[in-house]
Amino acid sequence: MPQPPAPLASPPRLHQRRLRVRGTSITLLSQVRERAEADLGFSVDYELLDFPTCQRRAAMEPEGYDVYEQCFHNLDIVWFWGALQPIDIDRITLWGSISDLAKQGGISKYAWRGHGDAPVRKLYVQPGGFLGPKPSRYISMLPTVHNMDSFGYDPAVFGMSETVRPSWSWLLDKRAKGRIGLMDEPAIGFFDAALAAEAAGELQFADICNMTIEEINALMALLEDRRRQGYFCGAWRDGDQAARLVRDAHIAVQSMWSPVYGQLGPHPGDFIEAAPVEGYRAWHGGASLSRHLGGAALDMAYEYLNWWLGGYAGAVMARQGYYISTPDRSRAHLSPQEWAYWYDGAPAAKDLRGPAGEWVVRAGARRAGGSYRERASRIAIWNTVMDEYNYAARAWDRFILRVNSGRQAEEGAA
Amino acid sequence: MIRSPNPFAQEPRYELITRVLRSNIQRGNLPEGLVLLEGPIAAVMQTSRVPVQSALRHLMAEGLVHRFEGRGYLVGPEGRNILPVRRDIREFALDIPEAMDDALQTRGTWRHVYEEVEEQVASCQIFGEFRIIETELSEYLGVSRTVARDVLARLQERGLIRKSATSHWIAGPLTARTVREKFELRSIMEPAALRLAAPFIRYAEVENLLEMIDSGSMISSESLSDALMDFCIAQAPNTTLVEMIRGNRLLLSSVNRALTALGLPNDEATIDQYRTLLDLIARHPIDSAAEYLRDHVEIMAQRNLARMKIVAVITEAGAFAPYLALQ
Repeated sequence: MPQPPAPLASPPRLHQRRLRVRGTSITLLSQVRERAEADLGFSVDYELLDFPTCQRRAAMEPEGYDVYEQCFHNLDIVWFWGALQPIDIDRITLWGSISDLAKQGGISKYAWRGHGDAPVRKLYVQPGGFLGPKPSRYISMLPTVHNMDSFGYDPAVFGMSETVRPSWSWLLDKRAKGRIGLMDEPAIGFFDAALAAEAAGELQFADICNMTIEEINALMALLEDRRRQGYFCGAWRDGDQAARLVRDAHIAVQSMWSPVYGQLGPHPGDFIEAAPVEGYRAWHGGASLSRHLGGAALDMAYEYLNWWLGGYAGAVMARQGYYISTPDRSRAHLSPQEWAYWYDGAPAAKDLRGPAGEWVVRAGARRAGGSYRERASRIAIWNTVMDEYNYAARAWDRFILRVNSGRQAEEGAA
Repeated sequence: MIRSPNPFAQEPRYELITRVLRSNIQRGNLPEGLVLLEGPIAAVMQTSRVPVQSALRHLMAEGLVHRFEGRGYLVGPEGRNILPVRRDIREFALDIPEAMDDALQTRGTWRHVYEEVEEQVASCQIFGEFRIIETELSEYLGVSRTVARDVLARLQERGLIRKSATSHWIAGPLTARTVREKFELRSIMEPAALRLAAPFIRYAEVENLLEMIDSGSMISSESLSDALMDFCIAQAPNTTLVEMIRGNRLLLSSVNRALTALGLPNDEATIDQYRTLLDLIARHPIDSAAEYLRDHVEIMAQRNLARMKIVAVITEAGAFAPYLALQ
């Protein structure tokens, strides 16, 4: 027999619904979080970590988050650790609107495909729990934000005429000696250095995204030689460090991420974004579900994932120079001038603001590399976790440690 | 000096510990449900944990102990809902024959300490290239330089270490290429050995394993792999081939154990494959089992390469013995 409800001593406390998101500075922006909370009616807690820490903790402590926002190449670690659960695309309302770059591996038949792991190669869950490009109902990560990265350079060093063709080889260029900055994440910075070595004609790799031990050793030996000669002045781990290096170390050339250009202040004319002749190093981000999610918490996570594709988040991403997998949905959330600058590659019709309202683009400026289509058609490689990643990452980390301790020694002396 | 005639003095430690635990379980000195933990057993036997781990795995394959939801192993066979009894093993009167006890205490022979060193040397290689310092090794093991040298000679013979141009002992690095090549060798040799072994396979044990899997026992894929080797493949009458197979597997399995100990997830997804394989061996023409084994080894290769990538997340700090110097 059902019990009559007990009298209440005080009004019932509403259980606050919250979703915990672990990720990096790429997507964990307060402008996104606040709007998501307003639209969805539950709290969203952010845990913002640097790349290596984020990846380690996502793999080893999946109980600590509900949604994991990171890059596809990172799935080689976190998915195979067993920390995530498959996403059912039948529950993703805008699945059909996601662009072909994520689902096919290129924006058109004629676009460069790029070496390495295009996101589609890690997208679909295959029998046996492997990931692959063959479509299935379940995916590992919902494709969202992405970009084609390059480096920034000082035109006083490399020239500013129309005929100057920026090349990855500049990261090993004698003219920049002592003023070269690298990115420290082994699945990213390592490939910038590899592109530089190939472009400079120093080394050739049979498959740049799946190097042999000998090729890795050769690359590390080359880098160590340049380090001893004093080529590198530092390595950065997040956008703030990257901006600080450019300002304080008078960088001549450095691996860069788009938002950092906006952080450089009002006169970024002495440090400009390159559109390398060899093409870009691309990456694709997304959101995954923690293994432990179920029931109402899982429903909330799906609501959040669907919200991400809806347009608003993509517009915030655009203002820091990143693209979204459902650009047509974001267009409505951008002004025509913003859309023209960020997606069409047109000169800015007026000054433009970044995600936090700061001025990041001056009227008349034009995005390096042109429109989304032009940039996405020139992908040389994708960020990749290659077979010998464990070996390469350890060698790279030791190298970066030496680069940074050299820098600290210099700062100490000064 | 007169050498002790102790018959156990030459046996590896894990074998001695397995014998002691087996006879004490069979005699009822260790009751059903008792939770066996590595640490306390290692203390009783005055050894490190490495040989205790191996001994417990062997006893599990024999069905004398089994895994449960908690830490350690439960005495008794799986599937009878035996409740865990959490008591210190030191409270029980363990029967350890004097000769065995002496052998456990002896530090004079290389066989005795070999397994522990092998485990450490194999597992460090995922972190890079190491130099083995001979004086540190003998100090660490509490043995003479001669014994330490015997251990190193055996490691070299088994392909785990090599001499550098400057005459230093070097281990590693273990690369994806090494793993890929070892699995290639496995897929060539093991199906061939299985075919040769067909008339000699210990079918009763295979049936027993199938029953354990079907009753939902928590048997690890690692013990299944060991059992497949011991009861099936190693029964091939070509001993040279079997030796080669064992040698080739050695590094892979100790690295696998080391990775699990470092916190990598256990690979439980392959239990179904072992079930199919054992079923084919027990009830179908051996060719179908050999074909399936080859496919299975190829899938295992992919899984292991994936595992090699995720190792990159683990930091090196405190992961290796003092006689190993990272180069």
